[in-house]
Amino acid sequence: MLLLALRNLFEGKARFVMSTAGLGLALLLVLVLDAIWAGSESQISAYIDRSGADVWVAQQGVRNMHMASSSLPVTTVPDVELVPGVRSVTPILYVLGTINTPNANQLAYVIGLPPSPAAGTPWAVVKGAGVPRSGEAIIDRTVASNAGVDVGGVITVLNHRFTVVGLTAGTLNIVNSIAFISLGDFMALRRSQATISYLLVRTAAGSSPSSVRTAIERQVPGVTALTTAEFSEQERAVVAGMSTDVVAIMNLVGLLIGLAVMALSTYTAVLSRRSEFGVLKALGARNADLYVVVIVQTAIALAFGLAVGIALTWLLSVGIPLVKPSLALEMTPASLAKVTSMALVIAVLAAILPVWQLARLDPAIVFRRKVA
Amino acid sequence: MSVAWRNLIQDKTRALLSVAGVALAIMLILILGGFVAGMNEQVSTYLEHSPGSVVLVQAGTKGSSSVLPEETVAAARSVAGVESAVPVISQYAVLDLGQTKQYVSVIGYDPSLGGGPWALREGTFPEADNEVVMDAVLADRRGLRLDDDFSLLGQTFKVVGLSNGTTTWMTSYLFMRLDKAQQLFGSPQTTTFVFVSASNGITPDQLRKRLAGIRGADAMLKTDLIATSRTTYLSVFGAPLNLMAGIAGLVGTLVVGLVIYTATIERQREYGVLKAVGARNRYLYQVVALQAAVAAMVGSFVGTGLALVSAQLIMAFRPQFLITVEPASALSAAAIGLVMAVFAALLPARMVARLSPADVFRR
Repeated sequence: MLLLALRNLFEGKARFVMSTAGLGLALLLVLVLDAIWAGSESQISAYIDRSGADVWVAQQGVRNMHMASSSLPVTTVPDVELVPGVRSVTPILYVLGTINTPNANQLAYVIGLPPSPAAGTPWAVVKGAGVPRSGEAIIDRTVASNAGVDVGGVITVLNHRFTVVGLTAGTLNIVNSIAFISLGDFMALRRSQATISYLLVRTAAGSSPSSVRTAIERQVPGVTALTTAEFSEQERAVVAGMSTDVVAIMNLVGLLIGLAVMALSTYTAVLSRRSEFGVLKALGARNADLYVVVIVQTAIALAFGLAVGIALTWLLSVGIPLVKPSLALEMTPASLAKVTSMALVIAVLAAILPVWQLARLDPAIVFRRKVA
Repeated sequence: MSVAWRNLIQDKTRALLSVAGVALAIMLILILGGFVAGMNEQVSTYLEHSPGSVVLVQAGTKGSSSVLPEETVAAARSVAGVESAVPVISQYAVLDLGQTKQYVSVIGYDPSLGGGPWALREGTFPEADNEVVMDAVLADRRGLRLDDDFSLLGQTFKVVGLSNGTTTWMTSYLFMRLDKAQQLFGSPQTTTFVFVSASNGITPDQLRKRLAGIRGADAMLKTDLIATSRTTYLSVFGAPLNLMAGIAGLVGTLVVGLVIYTATIERQREYGVLKAVGARNRYLYQVVALQAAVAAMVGSFVGTGLALVSAQLIMAFRPQFLITVEPASALSAAAIGLVMAVFAALLPARMVARLSPADVFRR
């Protein structure tokens, strides 16, 4: 039966290609959308994940960086330093601003770093310095090349001119890039030395971040403290919330298209071999045996279709960031698992039609008509 | 062409499945295109309803993260030809409702001057500091009703009004009093925009020129600000959706091709028979092309219908989405489908055309 299935399958080459390609394309839709969202989530929490901090301290009630604003009095710094388990406190200022480039104003999260920061510095400096001093700025390398600027050049950030002293990687995402200036310059631009945005806390060896986090909230008034993992999760949660409905719609559409294509394919496959199946039936084959043939065929097409979908998505995930560096595509295990079960559902449903066809196939038909 | 027609409808199941494949592919293309078109509309909805024809923004910002001192309002009012100058704070924030988090666009405005919600479904405009008008779709989705309290940035607010037309699928609008917004965002005595209206007889462009002299501010035509915002918003949020729409377009077109190609391949024998009984190649091509065209047209028609229906369904169940399926895009999708279908059908037809009639019956 297996041999029959295989022979049947590969003789109808066009059909095989169609079911594989069609299923692959339908699954591609679902995989790519998932990958786009997963990529965005990772990008959005990148600074938090790579900051080197163990605990983040923000204004009370603030649990995000993106699209959020946090304001703490400078006096919070010594208060937090006194909390047991705290090794170092790095205050930063942070605002969503713009970098003026000839083409357009680019959105940038501008971070003000203190001198000798223990955390919060760019994690991938590809050229130049990693900590800005007064009058200096460190920007993302893609933004720099778009602006036609290199190390030593001048760039306008927050409406003021800075000398570029460093270029970074990993600081560009779908929304914006990240730029670093000195905390002193930032305060001067704001005309206020009194507030900071976030505190990046590194914990002492032997103290768990969550216990330090709790201690900070208890001891220091007017703050919200989160471990890096918790803070990162909060950031991703907002993006994830946006994606649920869109992903659900795409899942449904992908499922329907995959189903239609597979159903058409398996239907025509059985149809064109009616005479063969008829002969088999006449020779005594039971319906169950014929179902096995169909199911094996469907399973093979399923496996190939899945492979095609995954391969194409992988290609896109590699190719697209090359063309547009701010877009990142990430295939997650959860997405792969979902798509595999979708393919199974499609295969099972698509097999129902030929099973029904075979059941009502009259062996005598073989002798009645020649052309399938 | 009776041969073509009869042949086509002979196997109803196959015809149905082919049409279904084409229809779903067309629906996919139109729905995603509709998402993108709807997003374009939603992006500028606030600015389009805001007062004035010229907007003052912080110099050099073109509207992004603009911060203007409050004195700018008085400066604008003192310019000749200015009918009114309305300050508005516009900032994003994260609305944390425990189980869910949501980006909201907070608008701080003076109800006596304008710049607030333009269509209330129920309730009133904010009078006290802690009162807000919330977008009705956001409120419904999150189970908030009139007089409910919620927390934003550690402060408590009460919903006193629900507004219509104030949602995008990324964010929803929240309206509060200007001074409260200033306090909430820690930026007292500032404003984000100043919307300026012209007195009778002054054109927006003339007004813009007159306002050019205000220190620290750029005067933009509101239409220009809308265009810039749209570009910024789309470069921020639009890239993934545009990418998806592009992929969907490609997938949809390929699926149409695949379906028709296979349907035609399956009938190679029948076409061979036609040849064997003396039909010329030209006749063959005509039959094949006609069958493909009919399948594509019916499929496009059904697909467009499906797209319209599902767009309405999606918007009914998830009102934060706006999906606009336009006649122009339906026509171009149908045209692309048709071209693809005919092309995909002619390939197998060519194979049969090149056979000699005797070959047909050889396996």
